[in-house]
Amino acid sequence: MNALLPLLVTIIAIAVGYGWYARTVNRRVIQPDSKKATPATLYMDGVDFTPANRHVLFGYQFKSIAALGPIIGPIVAVQWGWLPALLWVVFGTLLLGWVQDYSSIMLSVREDGQTFGALSFRLISPRARTILVLFIYFYLLLLMAAFGKIVGFDLMTNPAVPLGVLLVIGIGLLAGQMTYKWKLDILLTTLITVALAFVGIWAGTLSGVKSFVQMLGGGAQSPLIFGNVTWAQFLWSLVVLIICYLGAVLPIWRWAQPINYVAFWIVFLGIIAGTLGLLIWHPSIPDSFPAFTNWDGNLTSAAAGAGVTKTFTSLGPLWPILFVTIACGAISGWHSLVSSSGTARQLENESDGLFVGAGAMFLEMFLAVLSILTAVVGIGAVQGFGKYAELIGAGKAGGVFALGLAEMMNHAGIPVAFGVSYGAVFLTLMALTIMYLVVRFMRVASAEFLGDTIPFFRNASFGSIVALVLSAFLIYTGFWARIWVLFGGANQLMASMALLLVSVWLMAKGKSYLWAFIPAIFMFVTTVAALLWTAFAVFRQVANTPNLAVNIMVGNIAAGVIAILLVLAALILVWDGIKALRRLKTGALAEAKA
Amino acid sequence: MGDDEKKKGLMSGIKGVLYGMAGHDMTRYALKTRGSMEHLFILITMGDLLGIPILPPYYSLRLLPYVVPQISTWKRRMLREKDLTDALA
Repeated sequence: MNALLPLLVTIIAIAVGYGWYARTVNRRVIQPDSKKATPATLYMDGVDFTPANRHVLFGYQFKSIAALGPIIGPIVAVQWGWLPALLWVVFGTLLLGWVQDYSSIMLSVREDGQTFGALSFRLISPRARTILVLFIYFYLLLLMAAFGKIVGFDLMTNPAVPLGVLLVIGIGLLAGQMTYKWKLDILLTTLITVALAFVGIWAGTLSGVKSFVQMLGGGAQSPLIFGNVTWAQFLWSLVVLIICYLGAVLPIWRWAQPINYVAFWIVFLGIIAGTLGLLIWHPSIPDSFPAFTNWDGNLTSAAAGAGVTKTFTSLGPLWPILFVTIACGAISGWHSLVSSSGTARQLENESDGLFVGAGAMFLEMFLAVLSILTAVVGIGAVQGFGKYAELIGAGKAGGVFALGLAEMMNHAGIPVAFGVSYGAVFLTLMALTIMYLVVRFMRVASAEFLGDTIPFFRNASFGSIVALVLSAFLIYTGFWARIWVLFGGANQLMASMALLLVSVWLMAKGKSYLWAFIPAIFMFVTTVAALLWTAFAVFRQVANTPNLAVNIMVGNIAAGVIAILLVLAALILVWDGIKALRRLKTGALAEAKA
Repeated sequence: MGDDEKKKGLMSGIKGVLYGMAGHDMTRYALKTRGSMEHLFILITMGDLLGIPILPPYYSLRLLPYVVPQISTWKRRMLREKDLTDALA
């Protein structure tokens, strides 16, 4: 089967999902009114509420929602075979993903631009807001652990990568200086800084540089310093955390914004080159790469046929684990948060909501399918299924993407050695973009909740350091694959709560709500099952692994406990949500009788 | 709509999407920073308009004509209830 077929399936899914299902729901249920003033125009203050053109907002929404989730999630999920991963990406987006993104925007637009904290307070219960914010804090902590581990343990330990990342960051700072201080033309700034970033990534691949970076990381066989953490992993994770600290406490215009600007071009050009390379190459999906491995996603037996005799840890049963492993590739709670707090306040016209919210989600589906193909053909067609299994077994899902993308870009004329480094820098920058924002939010949340009792938390540095120390604890001590599943579970549990909030709102307005409520129930049951299963698996793995270091034991138990706490928080929220639904139903009946 | 207009529309759409991905966040943040500073300044000088017990200085009167166009948006923002989850974007 040709590798372009999944892309064709994606295009058909977009035509059906966006062209028919989303438009029908939009027309019959939401009924956007172009004449109605949106919060962006009604409350325009030039600060939080500012109307923006629909195309601009589409780009903004896509950039805000696309991070490591739609790339790493589908790659890890290929453990069950590429077909289940592809099916969930397509059907998840078609039936759930766009529903959540779009309805979150419209809920906020129709409710005066209020965000989820205020809406849960008003629509569900006062305590729902507190629990929601606590839930978001711990969910973001798992996000930091999952992203930090990919960057610090996987991508940056490749000696060809760290210099490229550090140089791109330095070049980003230069872009900020050129834009804000020297007031140079943005086009000139872009051309100079992006060209320099390319040179920086290339410089990282020079053998002398690689030897030096390898020496910094303790040599070719980096020594263990505690638990199963090598010196290189410790060092580069620490560097990543320091970068996040600077991103969280320095003025946004000085650090995060210009670096993100240069990073955007690296990511954008990488996606274009990868897609172009795939179209030129259009290989067949290799027969040796299984469409379905087994129900447990166990690579041990699946990879045995490819000559790999290693024992791999099974992530768990296809349902519910695959559904949360794919994370943002199908549906993501993060999207609802940024949609309601950012996009909804810039929507100029109600009828633009579908294009912006659903359209960006369908584009993310395309990115997720492209990621599956980096594993299946980028690696599978060149080095076989065994290589994929080896990399995943070593916790190098980021490496799978970098290598797969490099093979694709090679067909667009870019050498593989440069492409691998480029892919890794691309992924690292994508992760950092979100990580700055997450640490900033965690700092603000801790200041609000603890600032009155412990005044230290009002200090920006202190709150950021606490968030980073907690993240470091999980990064250095957790099992990566389990942390990823826990992050995916928390992320999608957040999505189910967003859908529940939307359902309560639709019911309050007397509108049809099953199109949001059924996905909410499905995601809630799936994610709770996944979190509990993974927490149990973590505890079992800790108990059954002989001679486990104390730090690994403590870190994994902490991750499992966080998962259980998230489930408890979600149960309270759902309980309050059901009470709110009953209240509304009773109110509606009383109104009907009157 | 003619072919030329369609082409122009498509090009401007692509430009808009690219700008939205690359630079909109930067522009938005710059505007936000400027807006916040201006609103803070108005609060210090004209806070009595919101009932904040500030004894209006002489300069408030001199500044008033320049501040008038912004008073409605400033009031709107100052009086709006804010939530922690606003900080996510």
